[in-house]
Amino acid sequence: MAYVRKNASKLTRTERRRFVKAMLEIKRRGVYDEFVRTHIAYFGADGENGLRTAHMAPSFLPWHRRFLLELERALRRVDSSVTVPYWDWTRDRTTRSVPWTKDLLGGNGRRSDRQVTTGPFAYSAGHWTIKEGVTDGAFLTRDLGRSRHPIKLPTAAELKSALDDPVYDVSPWDSTVTHGFRNRLEGWGRGSGSSSWRNHNRVHRWVGGVMLGGASVNDPVFWLHHAFIDLQWTRWQRRHHNHRYLPARPPGPRSAQHRRIVARHEKLPPWDVTPDQLEDMSRVYRYV
Amino acid sequence: MVMGASGTPTNADQGSGSPLRDGPGARTRRELGRGLLGSVAALALAPVVAASRPPSPGRKARHTDTFFDETYRGRRIRGMLLPLMAGAPAGAEWQITVDGRPLHLMRRADGTWLSMVDHYQSYRTPLEATRAAVDELGPGQRLRDLAPGPVGGWHAHTGGHYGVRA
Repeated sequence: MAYVRKNASKLTRTERRRFVKAMLEIKRRGVYDEFVRTHIAYFGADGENGLRTAHMAPSFLPWHRRFLLELERALRRVDSSVTVPYWDWTRDRTTRSVPWTKDLLGGNGRRSDRQVTTGPFAYSAGHWTIKEGVTDGAFLTRDLGRSRHPIKLPTAAELKSALDDPVYDVSPWDSTVTHGFRNRLEGWGRGSGSSSWRNHNRVHRWVGGVMLGGASVNDPVFWLHHAFIDLQWTRWQRRHHNHRYLPARPPGPRSAQHRRIVARHEKLPPWDVTPDQLEDMSRVYRYV
Repeated sequence: MVMGASGTPTNADQGSGSPLRDGPGARTRRELGRGLLGSVAALALAPVVAASRPPSPGRKARHTDTFFDETYRGRRIRGMLLPLMAGAPAGAEWQITVDGRPLHLMRRADGTWLSMVDHYQSYRTPLEATRAAVDELGPGQRLRDLAPGPVGGWHAHTGGHYGVRA
């Protein structure tokens, strides 16, 4: 029977406690850091050579869906009642709202060095030392809202503009496309500056600290953010019944994207699974 | 319920090894980085070695299209364009250091640059991307050398030296 992923703001006190406890336990066992390493290793950019799977590619959504399932599987081996909650950043938008509470993810980083000092993932609590970071800092960092040049989280209207696009993705299937649900949600815009980050990317920017770098998985909010992104894929599928993951077939040898992206029925590294097999999760989990 | 390797639900874990294992033939950034280092070892290391020298007093910022060297917000940042090696990732021709530690840049299809520190936004030039990375470094924090080199225990082809069995 399918299990349920809940809005983080709807978790009971017991559910929050058990989620946190399972996260700390997989961290203690060394399992968590492998997830951090995997995300670093699979962040390939589209101006480089080689296959792109996790970002700047159609498989952004199935790759992170599978990544979440693996994390959830590790958590459920510790406590079978636990699932990954989602953070609806169109509703919980302040630095003090869910999930930034002491009994869930803890709060903002302090001003001097952005160190998170509250909640179960604070370095001082002794259970969350960063081992696979971009920097040598051992503590979790956040800069919610970007203190130097404040920005806002993406709005419901911005998210809707992605959901309204009926086409999953378009050629050349990278970070430069201006149409298609996938990149409207992933959020690569033109140029730099505030308007160039949308939806998914903008949330990484808004949280700041380790969430901004290649080792963003070090902040547990990574999973709550990506569960919400994953929910958007499910919503998009409901809204556009006749549309599916694209491309259906791999780009041909004359395409610049030949062997650079994963088509619907191709394997999605590092797993032995295709986007096609990851489209329907209704037998595994559902969102409430 | 857990997910089997096929992506379909299974009711028991088969203990089939790391769920994060890699398929054969996949090339990760680290592998590409190692290849680059091996092929141009002396050349690639040159700016790193140079950057590790203490800055001379009164040094001024110097920029060209292929080189930069300046102190930005108290950090010494240096970058040098190297000849592009066959098979090297497109972004790897720039060797960048922040206080002597390598900063890995990646290139977007639109020609802009992003760094490991600031990974969800891109910048027009390697210098801008490097300054943006410095903006995000906390006081006293230094870059870790994530790539290339013998990093961690995870390796794409072996499927992880660190078992993920809980």
